[in-house]
Amino acid sequence: MQSDNPIHRRQFLHLGGTALAAARFIGGIETHADELKKRHRACILIWLGGGASQMETWDPKPGTPNGGQTKALSTATSGIQIADLWPKTAALMNNIALIRSITSKEGEHGRATYQMHTGRRPTGALKFPNIGSVVANELGSRDSELPNFISVGDTVGPGFLGVHTAPFIVRRPGMLPDNVAAGVAVPRLSRRLAILKDQDDDFAAAGARELAVEHQGLYGQATRLVQSERLKAFDLTKEPENLRTAYGKGGFGQGLLLARRLVEAGVPFIEVRRGGWDNHEKIFEQSPKNAAEVDPAMAELISDLKTRGMLESTLVICMGEFGRTPKVNPRAGRDHWPNSFSVLLAGGGIRGGRAIGKTSPDGTTISDRPVSVSDLFQTFCKSLEMNPTTELMTPQGRPIKIVDDGAPIKELFG
Amino acid sequence: MSSTNVVGVLRPGWPWGIAPTVVIAGLLFTSGLSGAQKPVKPGSSTSGAKMVTPAPARPSKPAAPKKSGIDRMAVLAQFRDEMPSHKWGVSHSVDFQPHELDRMLLTQLASRAKDVAPLVSDERFIRRVYLDTTGKLPEPKAIVDFVAEKDPKKREHLIETLINSKDFARHWARYWRDVILYNNEVNPKKISPQALEDWLAEEFDKNVGWDIITANLVAADGKKMENGPDTFSIAAENKPERLAAETARIFMGVNIQCAECHNHPFDKWKREQFHELAAFFASGKYYMPNLQHPDQKTEMQPRFLLGEKPKRKLDNDEKRVAVAAYLIYNPQNYWFARAFVNRIWHELFGDAFYAVDSLGPDGEVQYKLLVNRLAAVLRYKDFKPKWLFRTLLNSEAYQREIRNPKSETDRFASVRPTRLSGLEVAEAIDRTVGSTKVEEQIRRTFAFDPSLPQQDIDGSIQQALLLMNEPNVQRQIHEGPLTKRLVGLMSDQNVVEQMYLAILARRPTSQELSRLLEYLKTTKPRNEAIEDLVWMLVNSAEFVIKR
Repeated sequence: MQSDNPIHRRQFLHLGGTALAAARFIGGIETHADELKKRHRACILIWLGGGASQMETWDPKPGTPNGGQTKALSTATSGIQIADLWPKTAALMNNIALIRSITSKEGEHGRATYQMHTGRRPTGALKFPNIGSVVANELGSRDSELPNFISVGDTVGPGFLGVHTAPFIVRRPGMLPDNVAAGVAVPRLSRRLAILKDQDDDFAAAGARELAVEHQGLYGQATRLVQSERLKAFDLTKEPENLRTAYGKGGFGQGLLLARRLVEAGVPFIEVRRGGWDNHEKIFEQSPKNAAEVDPAMAELISDLKTRGMLESTLVICMGEFGRTPKVNPRAGRDHWPNSFSVLLAGGGIRGGRAIGKTSPDGTTISDRPVSVSDLFQTFCKSLEMNPTTELMTPQGRPIKIVDDGAPIKELFG
Repeated sequence: MSSTNVVGVLRPGWPWGIAPTVVIAGLLFTSGLSGAQKPVKPGSSTSGAKMVTPAPARPSKPAAPKKSGIDRMAVLAQFRDEMPSHKWGVSHSVDFQPHELDRMLLTQLASRAKDVAPLVSDERFIRRVYLDTTGKLPEPKAIVDFVAEKDPKKREHLIETLINSKDFARHWARYWRDVILYNNEVNPKKISPQALEDWLAEEFDKNVGWDIITANLVAADGKKMENGPDTFSIAAENKPERLAAETARIFMGVNIQCAECHNHPFDKWKREQFHELAAFFASGKYYMPNLQHPDQKTEMQPRFLLGEKPKRKLDNDEKRVAVAAYLIYNPQNYWFARAFVNRIWHELFGDAFYAVDSLGPDGEVQYKLLVNRLAAVLRYKDFKPKWLFRTLLNSEAYQREIRNPKSETDRFASVRPTRLSGLEVAEAIDRTVGSTKVEEQIRRTFAFDPSLPQQDIDGSIQQALLLMNEPNVQRQIHEGPLTKRLVGLMSDQNVVEQMYLAILARRPTSQELSRLLEYLKTTKPRNEAIEDLVWMLVNSAEFVIKR
């Protein structure tokens, strides 16, 4: 990959002075301190791509035929047990809420991933926005220096909300994003941008308005980004070595550490992806390997946020697109199962030490308090202090509520 | 299986009104016949796993199913001839000319869009048609010569030259390579995109029919990665379910993947049908899993989506040839030819008649008469890709100015401006400011899934950052061959004109000319001012957009 280019490190160190000058140039960084205080909530979504098994995470069924080889582990909260692959998470259970009765109907990866990111099932024409884009739109500032939605790994797009809320994709957490060092000094850059604007205005008038306006928006964002002092949020070497190790030195652990730094820098929504959960076979070999990376990193994130006093204002969500069949298949795996699965929440005003909903002893049905995807998204809204009935506008001027139906899970608040 | 949609096309009072219904009926239902009448190309090779035009069937001599190296071509012809063919009233003069396309489109547009966009100038036309046929910008000299040319048929001639160029074959080979491979997750050591691209380029260069190309891809057993057609199966990891889903997606334009697990409420395809299709791709027996009870399963017999099934027991290789034949040569499977037309139209016009790989119910098809007509004639034209390109590119519909359609009803009254692919952006930078050695980064940063609707494809901050700041691109803007040449020109007016021709493939408007001359006058030193303007044009929206 090109941008493993050693120049980056140097450019990065070089950036301080330029960025400060640049920040003054575009109107001062002082205002942003206020902006930070003003912002109440942020969200970190930990995405378990492929669909983590509820039985191997938050809803184990030890000693039953469907439970397989996975054992249960008592947690810091009496009465709540989770799979024994998650000791560090178990120790923090008083800060964590589990929902064990999510139910949906999408059992195909693409469609379910879309639904669990947008709160809507995929329908024909209208592309609904990723919840990260909605948060960027509602809680982010339109002229922020850093993008309002950053994702470590590809994710669902902004749909009808447009590119100003699109996820900014980071592929190698710990490295600066590619090409953020400005090629020329600020005065020259600004004179270039001025004449570029005229050129794009002409193109917009010549029949390409949509694309030209989007292009100008992206150049505005890119310009603010290259001039931002907050780029240093991407530099994980600023963190103590023991903390970096505690998060885990792999891409996922470093991604979560980056997420915390980005929340501190004012980014309202960060998604961090960890795939590998689509275990149609050998799930009792795969799950421990997966959990061994996610458990310490997630636990470190939650305690780190708590230590810094940020947990109350930062919602942490850990979920995947669906659960897995309660019955173990002949290949010692589990297949797709949207009927009943689990989600983990922490922070953002969510009361910890709770488990919402129950599945039957064999795991195949929900025996108490089913939670729909809409209920879940209502809960996200409540935690993030967004009004779910806020109407977002499509480019065609059609108003769309953030969430159409359902109700927040009241037991998780207050 | 009913063929209501085909019948829908046949209803009286259709707008193009030149051919009597019986001829069109023949046209729609005679693919088997027209295929069967094809002569075998003299000297065409039947070696390797590739198929060429199937020879006329020899009904007296049943294909010998052998364990290794069956004659796929002969088996294909055999299955094809089992298809129903209606042999009445076919006239070889039946055609669909560009002006007929325009008349048909206008008839349907009349009630939907108030006005249509005017035709583009020669200068705009040449950039568009170069990009669409070769993925490259025209050289400044080619633009100037073309504009100066007096021949009223010059656009037609240019189209002919371009679609017969090697660049055309290469460009469309890359498009289909990406359609097949864009989302694949196979270990790069086990798959050869280059082998697929090279093979497709050869086929497009020879104007081999889409039926034969498809049959080669679908029927290949995926055992040799250096064999181009095998890439299709390798990309699906040779899994029957993936192959079934990808066959329907790419070659029929329908998404039946959901049917792997459940019946879709709005779709016509049932879960059993999905697994019957998958059964063609299985080696040996194929079972549909029971999702509620994973230890139970049902054996499925191969049966194609419209009910076609083999009359005798087939071996693994034959099953794959059979599924290809049912896909391609059942004249009632109008999805096949239409999916090809729809994809090419989407690339050329910026909008499709329906989402190119995820058609649900047929009611989602816009301008159904037009796309069905194109598809029917394509079948009659032996699925020759160049026939389709020639017809579309020579139409006025293709040669209209860009507009942002305000609503669905505006569609095809103008052409939608669309993004250049990653490959095209990399190529454009290379050809304008000079080689940057970061083509791969450019390609990756500007890449998008070619199966997504163009209007849903967003730009990104990373794209802006790359063109603004990437050190190698900046170096070429600073001191590359174009900038050096421009700095050497005496007249500022000449600088601006040459710059526009080289980068945006057109001359500047008077407004642009005066704006840039002013910039050159007031910005010193002159060479830095010129660099600024080269940077500005490379970073302009128009540079990365087909218009």
